[in-house]
Amino acid sequence: MNGAVFIALPMLALCWAIMFVLPHLSPLRYFFAITVPPDFPSGESGRAILRRYHWRLAALLLCSVASVWPLAAYSPVLAIAYSMMLPVVGGMACFLLARNQVRRFSASLPPLREAELSTAPDRLPRWIALALPPFAAPLATAAYLRAHWAEIPARFPLHYDLAGTPDRWAEKTARGIYGPLLFAAGLMLLLLLLCVAIFHGARRGRQRAAMLKLEIAALYFMAYIFAIVALMPLLHISLAASLLPTVLFVIGVAAWGYKLARDPEMPVDPTPDQYWRLGSFYYNPNDPAIFVQKRIGLGYTLNFGNPFSWITTGMVAAGVIALALVLPR
Amino acid sequence: VNSAPKIRIDLHSTVPVYRQIVDALRVHLVAGTLAPETQLPSVRRLAMELGVHFNTVGEAYRELAAEGWLNLRHGRRVTVMARVQPATAAPGQIAEFRVRLRSIVAQLRAAGVPSPAIGAELRKLAQELKSI
Repeated sequence: MNGAVFIALPMLALCWAIMFVLPHLSPLRYFFAITVPPDFPSGESGRAILRRYHWRLAALLLCSVASVWPLAAYSPVLAIAYSMMLPVVGGMACFLLARNQVRRFSASLPPLREAELSTAPDRLPRWIALALPPFAAPLATAAYLRAHWAEIPARFPLHYDLAGTPDRWAEKTARGIYGPLLFAAGLMLLLLLLCVAIFHGARRGRQRAAMLKLEIAALYFMAYIFAIVALMPLLHISLAASLLPTVLFVIGVAAWGYKLARDPEMPVDPTPDQYWRLGSFYYNPNDPAIFVQKRIGLGYTLNFGNPFSWITTGMVAAGVIALALVLPR
Repeated sequence: VNSAPKIRIDLHSTVPVYRQIVDALRVHLVAGTLAPETQLPSVRRLAMELGVHFNTVGEAYRELAAEGWLNLRHGRRVTVMARVQPATAAPGQIAEFRVRLRSIVAQLRAAGVPSPAIGAELRKLAQELKSI
């Protein structure tokens, strides 16, 4: 049997599982990204819409499993890409279909808005300092590689095919060895800057602190993964050493996100339904917030009606492209 | 710990948002909960917290500055000024107040608020005015 099937099928299962639980990962006040009365999701209409959504997903999953098999025999790479793309595209289509059905039952958020007339500086919490230790990991890894430079082979594998055989190689150069670490440090710095931007560009509320904690956890995870990748020319690191923490991190974040999203005490960002496009894109030129609370999943998204959002997007994209240039080829 | 005073706006109200901000701030200014030299949030911050356009808050601040309540010097924080109260009210002020009050009472009654509850609120307000 083609090895690609063993990668494509779990990938399909994971992506479909995410799509399956997606409606439950949203804040309580929203159902398929539409503001509804608090008791609507547990009511008859709400449960019927959810049931139909799950049935459609199940039918699509069966079709995708049946089609990934012959595709894997034809092109393994295409099968893997297909196994990731189909759940996202098909699942989102099911989600939007359900969203249209929920729209009939939408209820507007309370029109009252309150603001504290406080001039207390909007400072980042002190524990943001916990975001700094992960930056020691690329430095320490670079120091280790430098100390063991002589032991690094002149040519080392950069990428493996599905059978586990190296199919891309890199030379023992400063860029080849330190490039991934520089990329990691830059990416982590970009993430940290984005955290600070979200904190100051969003409305005050408990969700901001929760988001910061999540981003700090992500920094530790990135530091670990990139250290492992950078050490690969020198040490033999098993696939489990990178795969297991990744799975644990994803499960941990999903569980934490669910707990936070379903917390009835968590304040809701007052963003009107009519400014949301496809449940994910917020465009409200009258709202000065640059970042607003997402309606699907935990976290923040950009208010594309604010010109600073486009500047932020451009700067992040430029940063990632610039960092990608330091990676070995 | 003393928490900062709050203002509240109703997006469904027929009263323009900038007018609601002016009215809410004026209540605090007259009551003294916003004392002279108190700093107010910047236009950007208040607009963001209320989710309204900068110009809406800017217009409200400018109107209160024109009334002599706020100091809006460019590049400095918005501060409450020690306002000298006019010795005599302009003619027709009480008549205008009466019209507005009756209009508000009518709105509340139309919305189903019982008359005794409105009366109780008015008596409470009268008591507060006596103590000033």
